[in-house]
Amino acid sequence: MSEARVPNPVSVLLVEDDAVIRRAVQLALERYGYQVAVAADGLSGLEAFRAGRHGAGGHGAGRHDLLILDVMLPELDGIGLCHRIREESPVPVLMMSARGDALDVVAGLEAGADDYVIKPVDTAVLVARIRALLRRATFQPSQRHPATAARTAGGANAAEGLLVFGDLSVDTLGFEVRRAGRTVPLTPTELRLLLEFAAAPGAVLDRLRLLRDVWDYGWEGDTRVVDLCVLRLRKKIGSTRIETVRGFGYKLVRD
Amino acid sequence: MDLLNPRALRWKIAGLAAAACCAVAAVIGFLVHDATRDRGLRVGQDRVLTHLATVEKEYARTGKRPTDADLRTPDQLPEPLARDLAEETSRGGRYGVWYDVKSPNHHWMWGAAAVGDQVLVVRNDMMIEERGLQLLDRSIITSVLAALAVVVPLAALATEPINRRLRHGARTARAIADGDLDARIGRTGRARDEITEMSAAVDEMAGALQRELENERRFTADVAHELRTPLMGLVTAAGLLPEGDEATELVRDRVRALNALIEDLLEISRLDAGAERARVDAVPLGELVADVVRRTGTDTRVAAGAARTVETDPRRVERIVVNLVANAHRHGAAPVEVTVTGARIVVRDHGPGFPAVLLDEGPRRFRTGASERGRGHGLGLTVAQGQAAVLGARLTFANDPAQGAVATLELAPGTV
Repeated sequence: MSEARVPNPVSVLLVEDDAVIRRAVQLALERYGYQVAVAADGLSGLEAFRAGRHGAGGHGAGRHDLLILDVMLPELDGIGLCHRIREESPVPVLMMSARGDALDVVAGLEAGADDYVIKPVDTAVLVARIRALLRRATFQPSQRHPATAARTAGGANAAEGLLVFGDLSVDTLGFEVRRAGRTVPLTPTELRLLLEFAAAPGAVLDRLRLLRDVWDYGWEGDTRVVDLCVLRLRKKIGSTRIETVRGFGYKLVRD
Repeated sequence: MDLLNPRALRWKIAGLAAAACCAVAAVIGFLVHDATRDRGLRVGQDRVLTHLATVEKEYARTGKRPTDADLRTPDQLPEPLARDLAEETSRGGRYGVWYDVKSPNHHWMWGAAAVGDQVLVVRNDMMIEERGLQLLDRSIITSVLAALAVVVPLAALATEPINRRLRHGARTARAIADGDLDARIGRTGRARDEITEMSAAVDEMAGALQRELENERRFTADVAHELRTPLMGLVTAAGLLPEGDEATELVRDRVRALNALIEDLLEISRLDAGAERARVDAVPLGELVADVVRRTGTDTRVAAGAARTVETDPRRVERIVVNLVANAHRHGAAPVEVTVTGARIVVRDHGPGFPAVLLDEGPRRFRTGASERGRGHGLGLTVAQGQAAVLGARLTFANDPAQGAVATLELAPGTV
């Protein structure tokens, strides 16, 4: 239970209808040095998120770096809320479900959540998931992805760090992805996943490895998060770019 | 594959048609053959009698043996001919006949007439009648074969619509078993027969099962939600209590126990509802087991030298291994050893072994058997067994004759 304070506190928005969970998680995360804003239902959660984004209200809330959404919420449920937020922002979203059956989890991930946890979740586990998500989100261009660094060092492409696959170009330094010249907005998780593929074009990457490298999971991870994120990525960069290799995993088509 | 299966309905029905065809042909063939043979014999007898009358007349006229007859003493006659002649004579007749079929290829009709103390003997060739009979038999067989060549494919073809409906039914039932609860056979075609009736019954059953299963799932999901929501508050709040306090430890310990109990119960009810599906990946088993055991934080020895990569669901394997190891520590005695060989995981402890009732009946919830196994709610092994079933694996419990309990998980039963 380290209480290492982050100098520039990370702001988390927690949307949860159960008052005890809301308060307890808020207190627990604050102990870990996070700044936690809370909302009790979907609509006020959306408002709080928008207010933070546009800096409105002037109470210094600032933008939220990460969202934790309960699935069953009054007014607007977590899945609907996640959809709305995805239309506006690639902010990392962690879903928190008390039901844990396949439909809830899949719906949440399809709506664009980056990861999910099943209640009750231990604070240490929750913090570990938050950290893994933030690592992906605060991925700076200066911190080269080791795999892509190795690749660009090999001089594979003329422009440094630029990888081209058919109509898709991935700038591994500026973290910009273009398809047929148009910028493709990717969430940090999708970007990390794409970089993982781009680092080894044509090679089959298995789900367990992707789960470990992108989501920081061990064996306990659910490979559905990989499948659904690949699905979302395909929608953005073209459905044929990433191929499913049945029984093994996925690979990027080089062209 | 289906086309070649000799036990397929198609070939059974075709076989039945063929058998019926052959039976009819056999009866008719037999009757016709018999009648033809009788008639041939009668013709042969008439011929030999006419011949006898002619030679007898000639003998009476010339007193010499006619060229186309033999003159023999009675004891030179073939025995059956002599007997027939004697019989006829005693009944007032004069001619004896005998149909000789001794040589396989040449049949003769013998005739004999007594003249004085000698016997006139004639022998007529029956070749024409024999040939006729053979030709008849051959044409009967040829026409039966021709009929079979038409009937068998026709019967096989005629079963095709039935087969198609049955296959559709089987496919649907399999889809339901694989989790597609919305699959239905439905009404195909206009036929109203036993298959329609069975399809309707299967559809009804699928509907009833689906409703049942969905109620069960909804209930489980609702219970999960209702239990987990306060539990989440409790778990998180317990985490906020001051560290190093004895009361804090007591609360946290009980919260952990409650949490584990609820998770096990929810898991069992999901397993019971049959709602669980394995998510299969290629998993390096040795690595997985070593990692999982290390994370249990128990003093457990792992030997995974001969492990291989297995197509399985790592989360479920983890659940099983964790439960088996925890059970071994809770109820058995150190040292606890986990051995991975190929696709087989063996968890062995050195305690008193599994109670007899568990060995006999398998794990049951809330029953731990003998008291020497210590306390426990008996859910861990039930969960392990249920998860193994979802994986298509086999989990068996045994006792080492020397000492200790041995649980064996075969992830690929049937293979080496």
